[in-house]
Amino acid sequence: MKRSALVTAAALLILALAPLALPFLQFVLTIAIAKGFAALGVALLLRAGLISLGHAMFYAIGAYAAAFMATTLGITDFALLIIGSTAISAFFGVLFGLFLVRYRAIFFAMLNLAVSMVIYALASKLYGITGGTDGLRVAVPTVFGMTLEKSSFDGLLYYTAIVLVALLGYLVHRYLKSPLGHALSAVHSNEVRLEYLGVSAWSTLLTAYGISAALAGVGGAIAALSIGHVLPEFAFWTESGHLVLTAVLGGIAGIAGPFLGSVFLEIVHTVAVGYAAEAWNMIVGIALLVVIFFLPRGLFGLFERLVGRKSTDGEPTL
Amino acid sequence: MLQTLIPLAVDALANAALIFFVAVGLTLVFSVLRILNVAHGSFYSIGAYVAASVGLWIVGAGLPDWLTFPALFLSAAVVAAILGPLLEKTLVSWTYGKSEAVQVLVTFALFLILEDLQRIVFGVQSVYQDTPMAMLGISEIGGIVYLNYQLLLIGFAAALLIALRIFITRSRTGRLLAAVVADREVSEALGIDTKRMFMIAFTLGVFLAALGGALATPTTGVSPGLGADTMVLAFAVAAIGGLGQVEGAAIASVIVAAAKVLAIYFAPSLDAVAPYLVMLAVLLVKPYGLFGSGSTRKI
Amino acid sequence: MKFSSTLRSLTAASALAAAAGSAFAQDKPDSFDIGVFTFLSGPAAAYGMPGRQGAEVMIEQINAAGGIGGVPVSATFVDEAQGAEGVISEYRRLGEEPTTDFMIAALSSGNCLALAPIADQMKMPTVGWNCDTHQLFAKEDHPFFYRPNGNTIAEFMSYVLYFLDKNPDVKRVAIINPDYSFGHDAAEIVKATLKSLKPGTEVVAELFPKMGSSTYQTEISRLSAARPDVIFSNLWGGDLENFVRQAAPRGLFRQSQAVFALGESSMNNVAMPEGVIVGVLGDGWWRSPDAAKLGATEFATAYQEKYGKDPVFPAMKMANAFVVMKAAYEQAIEANGGAWPSKEQVTAAMEGMSINTLTGSMTFRADNDGIVDQVVGTIGSVEGIEGPVLTDMVRYDGSKVLPPEGEDPMVWIGSLTPEFLAAMPKPGSYK
Repeated sequence: MKRSALVTAAALLILALAPLALPFLQFVLTIAIAKGFAALGVALLLRAGLISLGHAMFYAIGAYAAAFMATTLGITDFALLIIGSTAISAFFGVLFGLFLVRYRAIFFAMLNLAVSMVIYALASKLYGITGGTDGLRVAVPTVFGMTLEKSSFDGLLYYTAIVLVALLGYLVHRYLKSPLGHALSAVHSNEVRLEYLGVSAWSTLLTAYGISAALAGVGGAIAALSIGHVLPEFAFWTESGHLVLTAVLGGIAGIAGPFLGSVFLEIVHTVAVGYAAEAWNMIVGIALLVVIFFLPRGLFGLFERLVGRKSTDGEPTL
Repeated sequence: MLQTLIPLAVDALANAALIFFVAVGLTLVFSVLRILNVAHGSFYSIGAYVAASVGLWIVGAGLPDWLTFPALFLSAAVVAAILGPLLEKTLVSWTYGKSEAVQVLVTFALFLILEDLQRIVFGVQSVYQDTPMAMLGISEIGGIVYLNYQLLLIGFAAALLIALRIFITRSRTGRLLAAVVADREVSEALGIDTKRMFMIAFTLGVFLAALGGALATPTTGVSPGLGADTMVLAFAVAAIGGLGQVEGAAIASVIVAAAKVLAIYFAPSLDAVAPYLVMLAVLLVKPYGLFGSGSTRKI
Repeated sequence: MKFSSTLRSLTAASALAAAAGSAFAQDKPDSFDIGVFTFLSGPAAAYGMPGRQGAEVMIEQINAAGGIGGVPVSATFVDEAQGAEGVISEYRRLGEEPTTDFMIAALSSGNCLALAPIADQMKMPTVGWNCDTHQLFAKEDHPFFYRPNGNTIAEFMSYVLYFLDKNPDVKRVAIINPDYSFGHDAAEIVKATLKSLKPGTEVVAELFPKMGSSTYQTEISRLSAARPDVIFSNLWGGDLENFVRQAAPRGLFRQSQAVFALGESSMNNVAMPEGVIVGVLGDGWWRSPDAAKLGATEFATAYQEKYGKDPVFPAMKMANAFVVMKAAYEQAIEANGGAWPSKEQVTAAMEGMSINTLTGSMTFRADNDGIVDQVVGTIGSVEGIEGPVLTDMVRYDGSKVLPPEGEDPMVWIGSLTPEFLAAMPKPGSYK
């Protein structure tokens, strides 16, 4: 426990210092953390053996919620925007979850995909409300009443995001340690036995689904504030596929896995875009196959092997 | 009234025909292999690229124009013959018995790889090849000019539906496939070579998707992103019809196409949303599709 | 408390680094690095590639003549087809590199709307080379974003003026535009202009297919059934070519007068019937009488030699963006006593600038929007020239078809009367 906390702290410190050495990394890493949150949400469901092929919709809902609150409701406070978007995402998560968590296996994946495509299509076609395929602009928010330059706000956003990784990461860790969290893995290993124990798989999953939507929403809000623009593409099905990919690449065993996967992908993307832009998807696809075939525990598992210890969060596998 | 209804019906059927080819392939692969193949849309776009390239070559080489017709079918067959067994043997077969998450991820990885391979092989500019369309001429229905090629496609789709039904119920391979779908374990115990059946079904799925793409080229342009868009539309149709249902896919194609056509005629701002709204409406009431169920599957 | 002080020192450190970067940039660089944003793949590349090729020819010509202020130009091309999120990331990445001097971005109106505020945030002088939505400068100022282009108001009003003069009996109009700000804006402008200049005209169909649609067959049936006298469209690139390829065999252009706002850019790729009204969104028709006097012919010759085809108007727009950039730098260098200017000084040089581009005159208004003339014509053929050309042309004075600065454009259009049309030059008057 001590040791893993130490390693986590060291990793967060490296994240915090990286932009000082390479300023352009700040934007890249902000987006990586944003997507990392969404991938963590996906990873939670994967623990229960459920693959969501539509989770980008909650990322998009978080992003659009931030944009709507800022433009339509006139809420400009940074903290309120993040908290509000997360709450709205969580609300939609529970709402859709009421229907979706009744299904398992491929039907769960499919129905998530179905709902996300409706969200995508609505975002791109309701031109008057969502700005259609142009999306919506997100102005620089105020911070406790202060108006900041975009560059200082970006710095603040980045360090807030890192603090959120630590804070929400710890909360999710506690959740996974709780009976509710253990029940989640049990849905995967033996749902019938779980029900015999008097635990409702439906409410276990609904809780997990709500949390995972909230996490994706935090990510969406961070992305919206960082990019300054939200777009329907955020909800397209390939984005959802990428979130699952990020989670699996990073490893779903620990909290750090999805973030590890996301940071890794974003940095490699930034480097690759100059050299192999045409083959980027192919590189990612091959990397994913390699991980599935040879590293079932993802980069996180590789990292654990190097450090010489294993996560105590249980042993979830795909 | 009839004046509006006839064009509406023709447009809906013409649209449905194009969607049906690719959706029925997706549903067929699912029913036999029990895998949702996320890369299915890529086979459609590869079929389209290959057919358009072959057509351009035929015209460019000064060969008779009519050759572009058989070339459409031949292109799809070649794509299926190469990619079907190759991918099934190397990648897809590895996922049999694994969790859905692994299956979806492996096909998603395949989708990513195929998308970039198409960019590298076929370039990033739009490709057009409309000789078959131009040769067939036009007809007037209800005061609106239609391409004879569009009408021919409706016929092709109907023929395919009948052919598939005959193949499954009458041919030996089709019956074996149906047996595998009905009960994989018992089929295996009875000595059916399920591995071979899987390969046949997967290759047939690739062929149908590639054929859909090939047949679409005379009336559409082919460019990057087509595979991803087609995948979700095919998926919507397969989901509405019920995964694994051939007739379901046919009826769902007509429903989705009709929704889209009605939207373009009467509520143009909803054209791209219509198929997904229909899908959501159906799935809210019948989550396994109009003709599907959670457990039993048929062809 | 400890954290916030760390944060403050971190922010201070990065501010210091940024300040050091900008001071450094004022030394004369070894190369003049710019980012150029256009569509390089997908259906929109049919329009975006001529833009890139125009840029390549301009860079060769500028560098052959000694570069800008003695520094050779080097461009990084960014593909807009990757979607706005990727475009924004690339803009930020390039913009944060201290060596980047200038941006020419972007083609799509949606991307310009997304990039303009970022240009301001990053204090990066940027020229929108093609995008023309009038919403760009409508709601807020963008001190670092300039558009030497004219906007959608002038452009689409001009088409309505032209087709009303050519078809005075028009009663039914149909619209088919792409489904984003550009298409929706154009539809609103066309409808408002019709309402003011020819009251009683009916809009019988209004379609907005998704950008990048591969098939338009149902839309064509719908248009056909509506029996319009005029079909207006600002589809462009591969979308326009697809639409024309699919609609021509179905007789749509025999039935109705087609107006393709961006038609000139596609008329060499797809057979557009003679008589179709096309234009160039501005004055960028390289064979126009004014362009011939201003050096467009020399540019066109270099372009034809390099690419084996004529420079369509996206290539001219891109070339004109380079002309503006070069002029801005040269003026800023002069104002700076011959020393290399800062980004702020370059931006200041563009303020209110008035120059001749390759195809006409261009003046920046106080809101950074450019005033350029509007050339509209009809596809026809001329002896001695292979391929389609614009005939029966008109050239509308740019300042006459733009609302006074600060006035709501739609309110201004609503205040026009049929006399406005009567006072305008007529088709065929520009020779």
